[in-house]
Amino acid sequence: MSSSGLARPAAIRWSPLVTVLAFALPVMFVLAPLAIFLVYSFFSVDQGQIVYAPTLANYVRFFTDPVFLPVFWRTIVLCLSVAAISILLAYPAAYFLTTLRGRWRYALLMLLMVPLLMSYVIKIYAIRSILGLNGFLNKALVGLGILSEPSTLFVFNMNAILLTLTLLLIPFAILPIFLALERIPQVLLRASDDLGASSLQTFLRITLPLSLPGVASAASFVFVLAIGDFLTPQMVGGISGFTFGRILYSQFGTAYNWPFGAALSVALAVVVIVAILLGERFGRNRGASL
Amino acid sequence: MNQTSDLLTLRSVSKSYGTVPVLHGVDLSIRDGEFLTVLGPSGSGKTTVLRLIGGLEPLTAGEIRLDGQDISGMPINRRPFNTVFQDYALFPHLTVAGNVGYGLSVRHVPRKEIARRVAQALELVQLGRFAGRFPAQLSGGQRQRVALARALICQPRLVLLDEPLAALDLELRRQMQEFLKSIQREVKTTFLFVTHDQEEAIGMADRICVMQAGHIRQLGSPHELYYRPNCEFVARFFGENNLVAGSLGETRGEFRAIETALGRLVCSVAGQPHLKAAATGARGFATFRPEALRLAGDGDAENRLSGAVADVAFAGSSTVVTITAGGDAAQRLRLRFPSRVEGSALRAGETVALSFAPHEGHLVLA
Repeated sequence: MSSSGLARPAAIRWSPLVTVLAFALPVMFVLAPLAIFLVYSFFSVDQGQIVYAPTLANYVRFFTDPVFLPVFWRTIVLCLSVAAISILLAYPAAYFLTTLRGRWRYALLMLLMVPLLMSYVIKIYAIRSILGLNGFLNKALVGLGILSEPSTLFVFNMNAILLTLTLLLIPFAILPIFLALERIPQVLLRASDDLGASSLQTFLRITLPLSLPGVASAASFVFVLAIGDFLTPQMVGGISGFTFGRILYSQFGTAYNWPFGAALSVALAVVVIVAILLGERFGRNRGASL
Repeated sequence: MNQTSDLLTLRSVSKSYGTVPVLHGVDLSIRDGEFLTVLGPSGSGKTTVLRLIGGLEPLTAGEIRLDGQDISGMPINRRPFNTVFQDYALFPHLTVAGNVGYGLSVRHVPRKEIARRVAQALELVQLGRFAGRFPAQLSGGQRQRVALARALICQPRLVLLDEPLAALDLELRRQMQEFLKSIQREVKTTFLFVTHDQEEAIGMADRICVMQAGHIRQLGSPHELYYRPNCEFVARFFGENNLVAGSLGETRGEFRAIETALGRLVCSVAGQPHLKAAATGARGFATFRPEALRLAGDGDAENRLSGAVADVAFAGSSTVVTITAGGDAAQRLRLRFPSRVEGSALRAGETVALSFAPHEGHLVLA
């Protein structure tokens, strides 16, 4: 390296430290805790004391006890539904954003991202009050004559969790889809027009396939965030809205069975890792960027 | 080949972006089957002409007629034209065959026929083996040929080419020029080719339309433009040239004199009535090509110039001598002659007498 100014020798002296930090931080704060969880999942609890002897009992219990697997599958289906609904709602919004010009596009995008700045708990409270028996949703439906009296269909059950998670996580779906749509060169759309395609054909054959990587990223974001959430089901799920996240929470809290909680976490982590890998796999553009 | 009928006509076509005008009432007729090049520096409006014809943008005023019918309001996907875009604009998620067949597939042509015509088109551009590749796996020249095949497969009345060679390196560009020209002869489709490179224009076009500042300055064959430029801009822009300013003098038959700081020069005005009719004393230029200029012999009575050799540059097949004439450092003349193995006898600083034949000189009005 030629010496370009005085800053460079200092930078060279610091660079090993920076390299060490770059590896140490993820190892210390991500990989190590995960490894500890994995190790704990092979321990057991006896009368409130953790027994540090390796056993497969936690996993046997997870796979054989009639309680856990059904909740596990139901939670996965719930979160897949959240991801699907989020994408169905986010895609038109993101598409609409890309049709706007200049500063309007980003102003509106910022507006859609504002909910991310608000406290999670406050948002859940707000949504709960909208969904509740005297909430805006019921009042609107009764006012429109769709319902004759307020319904309890929207709160303290699985529906409530579905609706709330969708509302909370939709910004995470809009952003990747918007970025994927925005990255499509306009000239490709003009080329499609030029070759005789109608605007619907251009959308279905060019825009949609080229935006699918963004859709895949959005789906994996929303799914991963939804499946890890225990606060939302806790607050709007009531008794019937029992999800895997709540079971996990209870193992670490009420039940004070950390090894079993750790085993459940490992099961959840496997699902999350699979979702991230799938998102990554389809989030890439067949290596065919221009 | 019938080149007399007009395929497409632009009538007083104007275009403004907001309040900024980029085209000022352009009139242009494109003949059926010709290779027409629109040539101009950047900002001349040449790409705008192409975009208006292609339907990528609406006109501000005027009309575009195809076979005599106004198509100014026809949407882009209904126009029987196809464009080869500057950076090819291939669809990255489709294979070469998918790209080339796209125009047929959106028109619901049966699958078998698409396959047949795609194979044909790829054969035409010599890419038969690449049908299954993706654009990212192709070189620049190959992408270029895919884009051409994709445009030709729809059998358009007119192919619009927007500086398609600009991204290629010199050697490849030369090859592609020949290739484009031969394809055009083979398919006999009208090509409208936009470029800022005058060498490219000379090499490929049947006719060239020179544009500057939103106006068409001259339209004609490469030969006409080279030897009979109609204005100072074309005379300077199109090929290397010598210009000497002066005021017009008397007309004698097919020749007219111009009084310049370097003396009286006589140039041809054959077939150019506006030059014969121009008022005596009108400002103008004598123009003559570097290869028309030669060392004066004893017999040369007319168009004698003298100057000092400023530079002798060997350029391979030819040698270019730069001469400062009339003691004015700004008045430079260039003299080009075939190189010889023993080298040029001229040396810098030497005073030389030069001349050009009146029929090789030409006048343009200032």
